[in-house]
Amino acid sequence: MNTPIIETKGLSRRFGKTDAVNGLSLSVPPGRCYGFFGRNGAGKTTTIKCLLNLLRPTAGTVRVFGLDPQRDEVSVKSRLCYVPDAVAFYPWMTVRDTLNYLASFRPKWNGEVEASLLQRFELDPGKKTADLSKGQKTQLALISAIAPEPELLVLDEPTSGLDPIVRREFIETVIGAYQSGDPEKRTVFVSTHLIAEFEGLIDEFTIIEQGRGVLTMDADAARDRFKRIRARFAQAPPELKLPGALDLRRKGREMEMLCNGGSEELLEILRAARPEDLRCESLSLEEIFVACKALTQAAP
Amino acid sequence: MTVDIFMVFQIDFKSGKPAYLQLVEQVRYAAASGAIKPGEALPSIRPLAEELRLNRNTVAKAYAELESLGVIETVGGKGCFLKDNQSPFTRQVRHKLVIKDIDQAVVTAHQLQVDAATFLALVRERLDLFAERKTHEK
Repeated sequence: MNTPIIETKGLSRRFGKTDAVNGLSLSVPPGRCYGFFGRNGAGKTTTIKCLLNLLRPTAGTVRVFGLDPQRDEVSVKSRLCYVPDAVAFYPWMTVRDTLNYLASFRPKWNGEVEASLLQRFELDPGKKTADLSKGQKTQLALISAIAPEPELLVLDEPTSGLDPIVRREFIETVIGAYQSGDPEKRTVFVSTHLIAEFEGLIDEFTIIEQGRGVLTMDADAARDRFKRIRARFAQAPPELKLPGALDLRRKGREMEMLCNGGSEELLEILRAARPEDLRCESLSLEEIFVACKALTQAAP
Repeated sequence: MTVDIFMVFQIDFKSGKPAYLQLVEQVRYAAASGAIKPGEALPSIRPLAEELRLNRNTVAKAYAELESLGVIETVGGKGCFLKDNQSPFTRQVRHKLVIKDIDQAVVTAHQLQVDAATFLALVRERLDLFAERKTHEK
């Protein structure tokens, strides 16, 4: 078994009396695109800062590439790139200066990738970073995170506050430019609450709530397991015993429920009651995130 | 030349089918309906992944599956091409595979109270439609 690219065990970080992260265990295998979902204040950024040794954990262990980011800070950081939610550059530097400056810290820098992304984003290399828009700053941060061809790309809320076109380009760039290398050495760890945009990219995810991991799953397995069933009857829906139905709602002639596995059995029972219409669809990752509480309260 | 079939593909995350399987089915559908013809190149993995905003690994997995099904072949350095209709499976296996899909349609028809005669007429209609499209393409 390969060493996980990121591994935390019982990670906790306290600020005063608040546990921002509380006993979080994560394991991100190489080559995966791993989603880290949580509401504002759930502890996503605190976790990421612990991975990067920008914060020291109060308890628990953190390993990145199997190394301790505190002890082996340089070797960990030289193999990863990080795009924070709010990017800041030296305002007096131009785009060109900034890229040269950042490249000087890196063992590797792919000039071709840099040039093609500058062109794609239509960034003027002579422009001062102080004069860039928020979207352009994010694009510059993305170029400087992809050109070094890191083994791990850590993205913290990368697309929040950007317009839809920039967001789309951002994701396409991560897929196209970043993922084109050796797949084993291209791990993505992305924290976001704008989940729908990353739906197709995510292989596996963890939902974090109040500092605790509440659900970790493979994305396809999750969509296979969590479903919404809707049934419409000719008359008011009959009283049915529906084992495993979650968040059951009735409205006029319709019934709607979620399920955590066991959709076949529910469909069987509903079908026997002769509905006019019966539909079953997978929940998207975003819907799973929103309904997480209802979904995890009871396993079948 | 590469066919411009980006528009043909659409991934629905609500369908309950893994994205790579949806892609496999859509390529097979495009092949059956003549939207891609034998010898034509499929879009390469990277632009297709970007266009669909799918993980590259997902698209690569779909292409690997299509190759093992004998639908496409990879020519080193040139990309993936649709193969001739020659299926590598025996008659018996091919029938089995078709029957599986037919059974599913039969179940759906039953649920939606479509009777046998109408069902058969619909099948006929679809067959004609595909045949027509194919001759049209030629």
